[in-house]
Amino acid sequence: MATIEGIQKAYIDYVLTEGEQPKSVYLFAKKNKMAEEEFYRFFGSFDAIEQYTWTNIMQRTIAEIKTQEVWSQYTSREKALSFFYSFFELLKSSRSFAVYSIKKQPKGFSTPLIFTDLKEIFENFADDILKEGLESGELSDRKFFSKRYKDALWIQFVFVLTFWINDNSTGFEKTDEAIEKGVNVTFDLFERSPIDNLFEYGKFLAKNGGVKEKMGF
Amino acid sequence: MSDNRKEQNSIPTTKVQRSARFVKTGFKVGGNYIKHYSKKLFNPDMDKSELNEDNAADIYESLSKLKGSALKVAQMLSMDKNLLPQAYVNKFSQSQYNAPPLSGPLIVQTFKKYFGKAPGQIFDKFNLKSTNAASIGQVHEAELKGKKLAVKIQYPGVGDSISSDLKLVKPFAFRLLGMSEKELDIYMREVEERLLEETDYELEIRRSIEFSNACADLNNVVFPTYYPELSSKRIITMSWMEGQHLKEFLNTNPSQELRNRIGQALWDFYNFQQHELRAVHADPHPGNFMITPEGKLGAIDFGCIKEMPEDFYYPFFSLTSTNLFDNKEETIKAFRQLHMIHTNDTPAQIEFYYKMYKQMIGLFAKPYVSDHFDFGQTEFFDELFGFGEKVAKMPEFKQARGVKHFIYVNRTNFGLYNILHELKAEVKTDTFKPHVLLEY
Repeated sequence: MATIEGIQKAYIDYVLTEGEQPKSVYLFAKKNKMAEEEFYRFFGSFDAIEQYTWTNIMQRTIAEIKTQEVWSQYTSREKALSFFYSFFELLKSSRSFAVYSIKKQPKGFSTPLIFTDLKEIFENFADDILKEGLESGELSDRKFFSKRYKDALWIQFVFVLTFWINDNSTGFEKTDEAIEKGVNVTFDLFERSPIDNLFEYGKFLAKNGGVKEKMGF
Repeated sequence: MSDNRKEQNSIPTTKVQRSARFVKTGFKVGGNYIKHYSKKLFNPDMDKSELNEDNAADIYESLSKLKGSALKVAQMLSMDKNLLPQAYVNKFSQSQYNAPPLSGPLIVQTFKKYFGKAPGQIFDKFNLKSTNAASIGQVHEAELKGKKLAVKIQYPGVGDSISSDLKLVKPFAFRLLGMSEKELDIYMREVEERLLEETDYELEIRRSIEFSNACADLNNVVFPTYYPELSSKRIITMSWMEGQHLKEFLNTNPSQELRNRIGQALWDFYNFQQHELRAVHADPHPGNFMITPEGKLGAIDFGCIKEMPEDFYYPFFSLTSTNLFDNKEETIKAFRQLHMIHTNDTPAQIEFYYKMYKQMIGLFAKPYVSDHFDFGQTEFFDELFGFGEKVAKMPEFKQARGVKHFIYVNRTNFGLYNILHELKAEVKTDTFKPHVLLEY
């Protein structure tokens, strides 16, 4: 009796051994001694398996970090950091698959099909922690921009993922540094900064203009 | 622990980032001068202490953000009190205990990486907020099977940044210290070597066990128990040591007897290592010591060990014996061996350096000459600092002299003298005597 995990495992084993997808679902099913329709009960295509694998890692990461005792005490910034570290820690056990899966994606700006579900989950998660941060005042609520914060985090995610794929330092220590720095810079930008103050000062001067003339300078 | 210190989430690691940090400090310091002189316009009596304080605060802030070796250099600078105005010293002394910590998720990550488990799964209790910064790492409180533990965790990427860090500190340091670049170069390499050793926690735990065993018989000196099975390349676990740091201890107004006992323990600890082990805990800043409630000296952190080769040990420590010192010819030979007098020096130069170094070492060796020494007396330190200041102004001492071993050995011994002075301790100095050769 085929299971999701069984098919997933067999597929990953196949692509990593052969370096390419099986010629057809028929061949793949035959090799794994199951009926083709049984395969379709779980997945519509090979890409769907890859998509499922990525989504699964993302879901597991989020579930895992939320069970941590410290989770509720973390700030938004720390929650994001914790997510990044845990995700790449989990991904480590499937690194070969990840490298294979990403390297065969065409270069471009649009999100590859295999990442669509993952992106949605990521954005929901990012939205949640960002909202918390905005409510607690940790992050600065800016017109237009605060809605785009989650996009910045997604870009960060894609960047770290690419960095990790090419990272050859021991224990991927460089990736840890990239996370610590990258996520922090992003959150520094989300926080209240001198730019906000400058902007507000400008607004104030515009509203209360003409001070100079009145004081006789 | 103060609440207002900034939780730090990043160490600027690339050289550009770090340079930017220094440039920023430069601006801030410049700004402080402007502030100072504009205030002075209205109040001509103002002295520079506020300015010094502002500068120190900004320099400290930027150094503590750099963490790692830059902070180490800050600590080194603060050891030598006569070289810096008092305000700098106070701020820098802070760096010996409190520097801003790193983020909690990174701690969890480090544990997962080396033990495959989160700290909460390894220990019964683990405090994610660090209690102390140890310049290249931070210390966390933990508990396992009813035992309180101290867990030291190293920041990632420290080793990588040391070399580039030192290059950055160099111009900054030689302006502050008034040293020539060539002189700094010899020493910087030695410092780099030691600092790189300090990032090797596996080496540190081996040495900690080795040294705490070797020094176990010393009176009134105690060491934490180390747990190699709970330690790794980036993590060291040891038993928690209750106690006060030197400053807190001194604030309790301890009795002369107690101060003498702690001072004696310190003296024995250092001189046993120097003269018997020929390798010494070369980081005698007050943050590495605790005074336990039982009135004993607790020594932590064996990250920095200076080994003394024979060709340095004998000529240098033999000079502390008056018998050799009275023999001018042999003394000059020893100076030559220590590169304090160079082969191409003219007779006039030889005479000059002979006199100066003789005076210098004579001062340094004072505690060794009699069987006990009162470190509380200020005259000795005034003389020492006064001499240091005089030498620092002499053009003859702008060029590099002395073998590289001096930097850590001097730092160790002057650090020791400084702590003993702060303790105002009277110490028996003949417990572990230097081994002496009378001819060279």
